Amino acid sequence: MKTAERQIVAFGGGGFSMESGNPLLDDYVLGLTRAERPRVCFLPSASGDADHYIVRFYRAFSAHRCEPSHISLFRREQGPSDLRRHLLSQDLIYVGGGSVVSLLGVWRAHGIDSILREAWESGVILCGLSAGSLCWFAEAVSGFHGEPKRLRGLGLLPFSNCVHYERGAGRGAAYHGFLREGMCGGYAAEDGAALHFTGEELSRVVASRPRARGYRLDVAGSRVVEMQIATTYLGDREAIPAAPLPEALSTAPAA
Amino acid sequence: MGFANGPIPKATPVRRILALGGHEFSSRPPDRAVCELLLRLAGERGVERPRICILPTASGDTSDQISSFYSAFGERHCEPSDVSLFRLGRRPLELRDHLLDQDLIYVGGGSMLNLLAVWEAHDIASILSLAWRQGIVLAGQSAGAMCWFEAGITKSSGKPLAAAGLGMLEGSLCVHYNNEPERRAAYLDAVGDGMPSGYGLDDYAGLLWEGEGTPAAVTARRGARAYRVSRREDEVAESPLPARFLPAPAPAALREDIAEFRRIKTMRRRAGWLG
Repeated sequence: MKTAERQIVAFGGGGFSMESGNPLLDDYVLGLTRAERPRVCFLPSASGDADHYIVRFYRAFSAHRCEPSHISLFRREQGPSDLRRHLLSQDLIYVGGGSVVSLLGVWRAHGIDSILREAWESGVILCGLSAGSLCWFAEAVSGFHGEPKRLRGLGLLPFSNCVHYERGAGRGAAYHGFLREGMCGGYAAEDGAALHFTGEELSRVVASRPRARGYRLDVAGSRVVEMQIATTYLGDREAIPAAPLPEALSTAPAA
Repeated sequence: MGFANGPIPKATPVRRILALGGHEFSSRPPDRAVCELLLRLAGERGVERPRICILPTASGDTSDQISSFYSAFGERHCEPSDVSLFRLGRRPLELRDHLLDQDLIYVGGGSMLNLLAVWEAHDIASILSLAWRQGIVLAGQSAGAMCWFEAGITKSSGKPLAAAGLGMLEGSLCVHYNNEPERRAAYLDAVGDGMPSGYGLDDYAGLLWEGEGTPAAVTARRGARAYRVSRREDEVAESPLPARFLPAPAPAALREDIAEFRRIKTMRRRAGWLG
């Protein structure tokens, strides 16, 4: 029986998609399930269900530590036929990166958007990176294609969100601009940082890299206030792993 | 805007759509015949080197679909390109300008439901409708053929089910008519239950709309047929349409370096140097 606690872990970037050899964020979300062999379902919809991405999920979430599965909305003739039942029976739903616009379009077509809300409310932990992070929020800053754009997400969390929030990436200025134009306040996370929400409250920020941070952004009149949030580095006192380069899957890092 | 590659369009360009029941981009004769037809339609726009763009959206932009398209058209007299909506992060381009610059837009097969959902999210349908009205040929197979109609029969959710299309062509379409009996049965039921009448297309059969009026049926494989499917009182009737046969062109001439490589390989094999 699951607890009814609603939890979302929104990665700015990271996990197996971007940090091969650094499982800290993936281990963190698996640990949250408190299950001995958690059921984990991967939703690669934002990548168009790219085969190589699905293979990498199964390598990272191998069967000896969890019960992995995935749903390909482009190949519904394979895989579970009752999507709702399958998703509601999971401990963790992990959403991959790619195009958030395409992701939301495909989800609506298959009714996944309402199933995910139901899953969240029944205690299934939701997580993801990049597009798989932006999707949970009311509004998102997407830099997947061309100039950063403002768009609506599923709205489980009543905030705005911006991922890959590295200095100099140009997203900061765009996000601040959108906030001044009336976007609701929210959170940003750098690659390697993850925002952990319990209910609609941010409970903590964790990181797979020692210097990765999360930020809170609010608007006061015409001023944007950006605050760095205290972040827990999950690597503890171990030797600091160098940040690996993103892998060939360039669909993942750019939401 | 947008006509750099073509002549100034006439006041009322002919609207053309080629719907195909199913094919691949292989080097087999019927597939070569389909590619030849696509090239001819694109070339009829009157440009020296027609532009042909694939939208592989329905497959999730799989590299298989994209690479087989390029291997079919890469060495032909045309300028092939792809618009991969799931990969725009890697290769940004101006969607609207790029699509309106084409002579032919080809839509690949896959999930019709996802195709239309992703197009809606990216606002592609209005661009395609404009392209059509400007005389750019629209073509596609399977999901990429049914999408132009009011309705089709898709297996996007597993079982064959009715789904709405863009409605640029009147009526409905069912693809893979000979190969997938369960899809055909679902179509006959749906038309019996009130889905608009339409067409059934076997693999390697196609229908070409040029301007107003009825389409012309074509077939790239002996025995592949196009059917008119309509409800008459209490029953649904299928009547085969007379179709023009598309002969396969000779295989593309080998590129000089490949031909040279093969000649050397043959010589060596004859000389017993290779196994």
